[in-house]
Amino acid sequence: MSAAEAVPANAGRKLALARGSQAALFVLAIALVCRLLGAQFEWLMKWPAALTVPMTDWMTWLVGGFLDVFKPIARTFTFLVSYPMEGVGWLLNALPWPMTVALVTALGWTIGGLRMAALGFFGLMFVVFSGYWTEGMNTLALVAVSVPLALLLGTAIGIAAFEFPRVKGAVNALLDVMQTVPTFAYLTPLLVLFGFGPVVGLIASAIYAAPPMARNVLLGLERVDTEIREAAVMSGGTRRQQLFLVELPAATQQIMIGVNQCLMAALSMVIIAAVIGGFQDIGWEVLLTMRKALFGQAFLAGSVIVVFAIIIDRMSAALAEPRPQQDRKVAFGILGAGLLVTLWSVFAGWSPSGFAALDGVAAWVDTGVGTFTGNHGATLDTVKNTSMFYGLLPLRIGLAEAVLPFTWGFMWTAKHTAMLYGVAAVISLILMLKGRVTAGLVVMILAYVAEIGIAHLAWPVVIFGAGAIGWVAGGWKLARLAVILLGLVLISGLWERALLSLYLSGAAVFACAIVGGALGLWSAMSSTAWAIIRPICDLLQTIPLFVFLIPVLMFFQIGEFSAFLAICMYAVVPMIRYTRHGLTSTPDEILEAATASGAGKWQTMFEVRAPFAAPTILLGLNQTVLYAFAMLVIAALIGTTGLGQSIYLALGQADVGLGITAGAAMAILALVADRLVQGFAEERRQALGL
Amino acid sequence: MTDKNSTAPAIAVEDLWQVFGENAAPALRDARGAGDDKAIAKELKDKTLIPAVRAANFEVKSGELFVIMGLSGSGKSTLIRCISRLIEPTAGSVRIDGEDILQASDKRLIDLRRHKLGMVFQHFGLFPHMTVADNVAFPLKMQGAGKAERRARALEVLELVGLKGREDTYPRNLSGGQRQRVGIARSLAVNPDIWFLDEPFSALDPLIRRQLQDEFLNIQATLKKSIVFITHDIQEALKLADRIAIMRDGEIVQIGTPEEIVLHPVDDYVAEFSKDVPKGRHACVESILMDGIPDNMPDDPGIKVGMTLDTALTKCMELYEPVPVRDAAGKVIGAVHPHELANALQAEET
Repeated sequence: MSAAEAVPANAGRKLALARGSQAALFVLAIALVCRLLGAQFEWLMKWPAALTVPMTDWMTWLVGGFLDVFKPIARTFTFLVSYPMEGVGWLLNALPWPMTVALVTALGWTIGGLRMAALGFFGLMFVVFSGYWTEGMNTLALVAVSVPLALLLGTAIGIAAFEFPRVKGAVNALLDVMQTVPTFAYLTPLLVLFGFGPVVGLIASAIYAAPPMARNVLLGLERVDTEIREAAVMSGGTRRQQLFLVELPAATQQIMIGVNQCLMAALSMVIIAAVIGGFQDIGWEVLLTMRKALFGQAFLAGSVIVVFAIIIDRMSAALAEPRPQQDRKVAFGILGAGLLVTLWSVFAGWSPSGFAALDGVAAWVDTGVGTFTGNHGATLDTVKNTSMFYGLLPLRIGLAEAVLPFTWGFMWTAKHTAMLYGVAAVISLILMLKGRVTAGLVVMILAYVAEIGIAHLAWPVVIFGAGAIGWVAGGWKLARLAVILLGLVLISGLWERALLSLYLSGAAVFACAIVGGALGLWSAMSSTAWAIIRPICDLLQTIPLFVFLIPVLMFFQIGEFSAFLAICMYAVVPMIRYTRHGLTSTPDEILEAATASGAGKWQTMFEVRAPFAAPTILLGLNQTVLYAFAMLVIAALIGTTGLGQSIYLALGQADVGLGITAGAAMAILALVADRLVQGFAEERRQALGL
Repeated sequence: MTDKNSTAPAIAVEDLWQVFGENAAPALRDARGAGDDKAIAKELKDKTLIPAVRAANFEVKSGELFVIMGLSGSGKSTLIRCISRLIEPTAGSVRIDGEDILQASDKRLIDLRRHKLGMVFQHFGLFPHMTVADNVAFPLKMQGAGKAERRARALEVLELVGLKGREDTYPRNLSGGQRQRVGIARSLAVNPDIWFLDEPFSALDPLIRRQLQDEFLNIQATLKKSIVFITHDIQEALKLADRIAIMRDGEIVQIGTPEEIVLHPVDDYVAEFSKDVPKGRHACVESILMDGIPDNMPDDPGIKVGMTLDTALTKCMELYEPVPVRDAAGKVIGAVHPHELANALQAEET
């Protein structure tokens, strides 16, 4: 371990720097130039306003014109769709609740026996007693109309992509865009197009829910065994017969997974679309009570959403599993009992819209939270302020500005800057002497980021930094993509807001990677831990995004820290899951080989399992990044700056241009991050020969 | 088993090429100028195209069991898919009962498949969402047959393959051998004239494989289909075939009866296959003649040229001295030592 040993190895490497080191050196050089010359040449730090392209205005003009043309058609569509929607809404509301409960319970029985029946019964009874029956049914009506639309659309797209290979590339790109463009960004043009009202939510949720269906249909069809396909051909089926009698049925399982995802996406979007208002649905109720700071009520309404989500998710997921046939008589028995109770309820004069029996609970939650925040306000504030002052704020605006006498107790001066760079240089030098050149260079870059803050980073550093990472992860093509896409954001004039978004999601992703990684590791090592963590993960993934805001708001009020927490809560799940899955899915043979070589539990974990899991964990990180961006926009409701806020503002003012450009900028950030991480995952997978 | 009296061939394959890669057809046309098939293949490979089947030429007579045998990657599965037109050949012609099916319209092709062709797949290719009976009746459904008729015919064929009573189970509840019986039944449901079998027994355990081979021979003995059978197993090929075509790198290197393949391999590649074959059944006494003929041979058990080692050995079980080998005319052309005979057989068996 002496320096003498390390130097020759280092010297040998210096001649041909590794790819990573070259990239890091390049970025460091740019950072150095920007740091030293930033004061003299302001255009290095800030893109000159004169060179900004008014993309927002162009979009307003372009899309505005486009929308004007299609408005009549869209409005006709609105008119047409409003009938089935109102019809279903009327039906669900007119149906006395004992009958609805019986129907869902019977359905649960048919799908999954006693467990599903119990889930349906107790779930819906909770809704009945919550007092949100009417609102709940209105939401369900929206889902009930938008899901068939989405299923139809998704299946059609999936089949088209499968049948015509030329369409496939285009479809995949389109699906990527449909899923990365933040949900709020859809709403603005749709609002203009379809007019104010619940139909917008319906269309938006159909658009949002179609891609998962399309993807699963395509995947299912592609996975049908070649011989099964050939057997259908040799049986003399026409193409249509092959597709509908053999290939689609053979892909049922995958398609049912699509149906499940489609349902969940539709529900999630219907809830989000409530921000437009105008419809007595449960999402609106949550938003309203949240705005009025009636947290007990918001909590109750949010619970109703969660209950719906769980019922829909578990029942439709059960459809994808092979399952035993259930006794039909029981289902009819349940329906009969429902009918009897319905008749009884008519005689007894029960309210058809349920009871508001849980208001007490809501009040209790309210006082509980009130007491808790009252008693522990100081603690909560400490948590919040500590995280803000020592974590988020320095990350955003840099140590140079965040370190103030009233937060850190002293003033940041040039002396501290010198110290920061000095320490970084020493660490860097030690790393380099040990032969880890890339790590050494990265430490210097991180020191620069720490001093300046993400929001104040010079644009060349961000753009060419992303390009350099892209070059390492996936070659010139990826580098070019990253530079061009981010360049578009730069010249659009949304750059500063984009950096703010980047900072918040970056901070959340970083926190998720550490916390999620640790939890994943723990779950992989201990089955008890997984038994506890797993249901929590399941629950967090079932909850529509919107609902995450409620508990955060209860304790931390509106602000950046609350947004950060909400994003973390949502985005941490894939990190946990993938880490655990990666670590536990090492082939048995490899593990046996490790054991036979005398490796201990932890040695196996770090020497064998972890490298093998790397691609999977990177995929988890990738998901976490996408989740964080998705939640970032929703979190704009409770106070974030950046692109999310712009999108939300655009929605309020029906400003199509801003909505679309900000949405696109957000999608670009997500897309670039996605591709970079995926590039690394792919590189690792190839290195492992998987 | 060979039926020499049949007239027109059931299947005639002429100069069939299957080249994988971009713009394969024009590339093949250009490469034709290069000379013989080997040169053409080399030129295609240089263009990073894959000539999976090269200039295949053969005929399958009516009622003949024609086996195509080769190692994995030799192009045999591609070849059978060209003949059944599951994939589109790059060039050449395939005639089924005189009709060039490469020129057939989609409609005609569907018609042919509904009535004339049947196919069995290596991994069975059963439809997972249908019962055994529905699987078997699927080709009939494509024909537009009524429900009752389909059911009746399905039960009939299922009985033929020994699956009576299992008609309402799902494929997932069957063993591998049973699944392939369903596959066979399905391919026979429309009573096709031409039967394609793509390594039908390769995915099965050795014991089940032998059992199914025997049953397959029984079925063929009564049905007399014209068969193209793919395998990578020389034992299976020798056991079943009327004639065998041996493929290497997309090329058919030899076509012949099992005897011809074992006794007169055209090159080392083919010889290598038959190396592990118990030659007693196929090799003849000429292969172990002694150098020169001893003057005094007391015994003459009547060994003749062309006699297999097995037969020869049974004739001189009790003998210890060299015995004469005579040609058809009765002239002594050489001698074998019974000891050598026994040795030769032992060596081959291991």
